[in-house]
Amino acid sequence: MNKHLNLLFLATENLLRHRAKTVVVCLCLIAILSPFITAIAISEGVRGQSLISVNAGADLYLTYDEFGRNAAVPLKYLDEIKKIFGVTRVVPRIIGRGFLQNKLAIIVGINQEDVPESISCVSGRLFENSHEVVVGYELATHFHLKTGDQFSMRCQQRKVFTVVGIFSSDSSIWGASMIFMSFRDAGELFGKQDVATDIQIHTLPGHNSEIATDLYDIFQHEAYRLQDKQMVSLYVKKGFMLKEGIFSAFYVVAFALGVPAILVASGFGLSERKKEIGIMKATGWQTLEVLELISMEQLLISFLGATIAILLSVLWVKSFNGAFIAQFFIAEITMLPRFTLPARFLPLPCLLSFFFAFLLTMVGSVYSSWRSSTASPVVLMK
Amino acid sequence: MIRTEHLCKSYSHSSQYEIRAIYDINVTISKNSFVVFNGPSGSGKTTLLNVMGTLDRPTAGKVFLYGEEITPFSDIALARLRREKIGFIFQDFHLIPRLTSWENVAYPLVPRGIGYKERFERAKLLLEKMGLGDRLDHTSEELSGGQQQRVAIARALINNPEIIIADEPTSNIDEETSVQIRELLNELKARGVTILVATHDAMFEKVADVVFKMKNGRIL
Repeated sequence: MNKHLNLLFLATENLLRHRAKTVVVCLCLIAILSPFITAIAISEGVRGQSLISVNAGADLYLTYDEFGRNAAVPLKYLDEIKKIFGVTRVVPRIIGRGFLQNKLAIIVGINQEDVPESISCVSGRLFENSHEVVVGYELATHFHLKTGDQFSMRCQQRKVFTVVGIFSSDSSIWGASMIFMSFRDAGELFGKQDVATDIQIHTLPGHNSEIATDLYDIFQHEAYRLQDKQMVSLYVKKGFMLKEGIFSAFYVVAFALGVPAILVASGFGLSERKKEIGIMKATGWQTLEVLELISMEQLLISFLGATIAILLSVLWVKSFNGAFIAQFFIAEITMLPRFTLPARFLPLPCLLSFFFAFLLTMVGSVYSSWRSSTASPVVLMK
Repeated sequence: MIRTEHLCKSYSHSSQYEIRAIYDINVTISKNSFVVFNGPSGSGKTTLLNVMGTLDRPTAGKVFLYGEEITPFSDIALARLRREKIGFIFQDFHLIPRLTSWENVAYPLVPRGIGYKERFERAKLLLEKMGLGDRLDHTSEELSGGQQQRVAIARALINNPEIIIADEPTSNIDEETSVQIRELLNELKARGVTILVATHDAMFEKVADVVFKMKNGRIL
């Protein structure tokens, strides 16, 4: 045990003695790991918030189906749907996209009585009358909008709106680029009357299949699409897995580039190290002891690098709001998001980053270390 | 104590030709003797000491230590032999540059599991005996050649070896220090240590029990 402790202390001293090399390897590890940890944390945060939204949302989502895509559903069936046994609430919505000047905004139109209770993070108030809107924090900051200001917007129709409220920066990310207005205003803006992009159906527990049968009777001659909460939640998860997959693909390239960087950094002072190993072996060190010392050095440096990378990632998210990286996971946001980015640092990615760091440093040094520690002392000391 | 039979060591420079560093060496060295290998540069002194000291493996022939053939020993067994029985003093000192004197001396004790305090005490004691008590925390760059060689000798002695192998121990140092080192090796011999020295220095022949003259890889 004393031997291993001695080697551990010596490994620590060696890292301190070779400060330049330690710093360079640590910087390489941080450059590789920090974006990875930050990205995973943001992805997890956004995914978490999405799933919370889904869980807090309706039990069933009804749309029309055109060419395999969601399409607007007419409101004429609304009363029939409300009458189905087990249906507690029916909420038609218009969700669309439109430009406010040069910036893309998500437009949500909903009847005032259907506004979810969760929407409370607003400075000012919610819309009450026609032409009144609540604007997302990102949009409001970008256009210096405050309550009482007016702006015009054109989709199918041109309309002038008055800002009566602004979503606060720590509200859900969906509020960042959102313009929230009455269902009627949204219909007028998009030039579509008597249709909704989807109908949210809230139901009594356990009634979904019966309601689905009743809906089939109502819509039997129409192409419609009915999705339940589990399905939506699955789509959300799938979507994030795809995004994470794309990010990971980019990351494999970065990882592959990182290995030679670590290799080069680990090679600093290699001739000095070879000589040192030769001296160690000449004075009775065994190959396994030399390798243990080198592995401990790599373990310590990877622990140090990964720890700093995790701390920097936390700083990146908390202080710099995931600048430059959040775009991967949240559409239509700027490089410097103006709203509070949701992020979750889970233990597994953090543990994985320690593993990756160790793997990188070992890959970078294992061959040269192995060759040095198995060579004859005479060759090494030359 | 140490015996060689038809010991050969060659280095191949390409597939076409090889250089014979030592050839058909047969020597017997008895315990507690002071043996000097003398000869010009390239005569094979260093190679012979390296092979006898287990730092290098022979191309052919056998090495016996205490009657046991050590040539087929594994690297682990040879490393154990070096740790327990042999101390080396090199011409170029071979100190680790960033370590202090005492850390260099105590370095062989690290894998033996000896604690920091004991390592320091043992290194300090040896360095004080070498007259370097005031240079404990100096790195090798801050020491003269003679001081570095004395640190190297202290390191060779830290494991209380039965054999000291010294390769040109006085070639890079001044005359005054050379005298001290010769006296020191003589003292070690008096304490029962077997000393093997490869040297050009004719003064060693005066203190040696046996002198082997070498030329072109052979003992004359």
